Amino acid sequence: MCAVLAHSKDDEQRIALLYQQFGGPLLRHVRRSTGNDLQWAEDVVQETIVRAWRNSARLHWEPGLLWAWLLTVARRIVIDGRRRRSARPTEVEPPEADTISVPDGADRTLSAIVVADALGHLSDEHREVIEQTYLRDRTISEAAEILGIPPGTVKSRLYYAIRALRELLREKGAAG
Amino acid sequence: MHPEVAAYVLGVLDDDETERFERHLDGCADCRREIQELQEVPLALDELKQQSSRVDD
Repeated sequence: MCAVLAHSKDDEQRIALLYQQFGGPLLRHVRRSTGNDLQWAEDVVQETIVRAWRNSARLHWEPGLLWAWLLTVARRIVIDGRRRRSARPTEVEPPEADTISVPDGADRTLSAIVVADALGHLSDEHREVIEQTYLRDRTISEAAEILGIPPGTVKSRLYYAIRALRELLREKGAAG
Repeated sequence: MHPEVAAYVLGVLDDDETERFERHLDGCADCRREIQELQEVPLALDELKQQSSRVDD
């Protein structure tokens, strides 16, 4: 943690409260995106809670939004972490697109199949933009460069892709 | 409608864009609602990431 001027009792209580309220559920979600790496997931949760505390001005947001914000922050930390890991020279190459969209063997979970199937129902443009950003841990600017289209186009395409995917997942009953 | 909301939810905006978008959020109830709606999509996509992210040390 960076140099923080002496925490007051209030701050400590606030952090403890955030942990108590969100630590468990956050860890469950984060573990999924860290490939079940518990140590890494715990670090991500800790960093997320600290960022929440630093942003406490925002914490007047409605509870549902706070939860969404925490998930978003955790997601960014995981993506940054994975990018740093894969930037290390000794690291193996990131998985190719087909291994991303088609999980195989006993590892397949029902929901992974449902999600892969929903992705398959998107238009090529929509699927591509999701694969080139979130599924490959790339930012909008990086994906724009790879796809050879302006960042603004990636953003709006991604928006419609995510909306369409949400509809498909809802039809399949895979999303709350 | 602000298309950046999807990129924000997925965590794929650059740091400065994220900061800018969060400032926008403070004053935009539509985006705040949409963030909650779209949240389930990356959670579902994580099912796929879980399968493929075993890039272990």
